Parts: sequence; structure tokens; C-alpha cells
Amino acid sequence: MGDTVSANRANPDPGISARRNSVTKIANQVIRLDLPSSTHFVYVIDAIISEIVSDMGFDKDESEQINLAVIEAAVNAIKHGNNEDSSKRTRFEFILSQDELTVVVEDQGVGFNRESVADPLDPSNLLKSSGRGIFLMETCMDSVTFEESGRIVRMVKLKSSAA
Amino acid sequence: MNIDIRHREGVIVLDVDGRIIGSESLALKNIIDDEINNAKAGDVRMLLNMKKVRAMDSAGLGIVIAAYTTIQRRGGRIALLNVSGSINNLIVISKLFTIFDRYDDEDKAIRSFQEAR
Repeated sequence: MGDTVSANRANPDPGISARRNSVTKIANQVIRLDLPSSTHFVYVIDAIISEIVSDMGFDKDESEQINLAVIEAAVNAIKHGNNEDSSKRTRFEFILSQDELTVVVEDQGVGFNRESVADPLDPSNLLKSSGRGIFLMETCMDSVTFEESGRIVRMVKLKSSAA
Repeated sequence: MNIDIRHREGVIVLDVDGRIIGSESLALKNIIDDEINNAKAGDVRMLLNMKKVRAMDSAGLGIVIAAYTTIQRRGGRIALLNVSGSINNLIVISKLFTIFDRYDDEDKAIRSFQEAR
């Protein structure tokens, strides 16, 4: 709380002060979400992640990158992990800290081997209508790791303003 | 997502409003497929106006690519109008900027179809 007060004093702009207040409140919080495995519900994830990145103070470009990466991870988990099986769940964990956001997406499928996914930038794959999800996640986030044979993906985005 | 269909000087113009993500993108796929099937072979000229598209994921991009390959195969042409921000970034990082003709001016885009005939 002391940090927040000194931030307010140092900066007379009430908008910036309000945002810093908000960031201080949401830092070190974990938000969990459990969704049915239907791509219909991707709009829920889109709405939630939009609010989180705005609240955390990511800039416009960073926010768009996070939104895209999280949507890609959600669709992968629902479609390819759980095969849109309504009896399987897709779980999301958003770990908020002062300088970074970690997003963990878990499905209940059989997993996959990252190395077996073709490079979408290879000229022979450029006009394929699918296969870009993981590439976009890795391009948009600072770190993407797969755990539990690929059933869990953990993505981290650092705030450029923290650098 | 809302999609308005216009016909202008022999070009099918699709004004897309909303997000091309998740299952929402199926609406765009169905309309593109219908318009391609209703057009005469070799005469598919389509302009996708993305001015009001707020977001697009890889599945949405895949629908645009599939439209491109189908229309090309039939001897037609598809171009994109008013692509900006995150959608443009998506096209650039996917190395598709040399594939899609992009315009910021509708009149110019329509004229390009006449010149290409």
C-alpha cells in the first residue's frame, strides 16, 4: 500500500494513479476458470483475458498479442486436446503479478509432441488453412512451455513497461 | 459477427463486422462458400472488407486462406480491404503479406478487379 501512495504523490495524473492503484490490487492474484469443451465458449475467454490485460496495464500491442495467444491455446485445448468432447473440461489459470502475466491452459486429452508440429512458415505450408496456433502462441508470448505430454501449456508475457 | 453482402461492378463485397475467432468464424466460412458456389466458374471476384473486424485468430485466417486457394483454383481473385492493426500483424507474422492483395480504398480495390480482367 505504501508503494501505491508514493506512486500517487509522484504522479499528479489521476488516470495513471488510478491504474497504478488497480495494478497494485490485482498483483499476485490467481484467477481460475473451468470451461466446457466447446469452441462456442471461446468468447468467454476473450472477454476475460481482455479485462485482465487492461487491468494489468499492458499496452495495446501487448494486449492484442496476449489475447491472440490465449485464444489459440483455448481453441487448441478444446478442439485438438479434448476433441470438443462435452464430458471433458478445459481449465485456465491466470497468474497476475506486478510485471508479468502467466496463463496456464490444461485439457484432458492424450497430449501431443511439439516437435511433430510442422513449421507454418515453411513455403510448402504457407497456404495451409490450419497449423498456425502454436506458432502464434510462441510468437506472441515471451515464453511458452508444454508440460504433461502437451496437455498443459504455460505461457508468460512480461510487461514492457517493467523493463 | 455480422456480414453484409454487396455486389459492386461485378465484385462481391463482404463487409465483416465483429470478431473472426472460435466458432464465430463459421458464419464467414459459410457465406464465402455460398458466394463462391453461386458464382460462375472463373468469375469469382471477392473483396473482404475488414474495417470493422476487431480480432481474428488462426482459424479465421485459415478461412481467408481457404477462400484464396479455392477462388484461385477457379480462376477468380480475392482481395482484402481495410486491414489494419492486429489483423495486419497476424498476416505479416504468418508471412502471408505477399499472398494477399490489400487495399485501403474501396474504389481503388474495385478498379483493380477491372484491370485484372
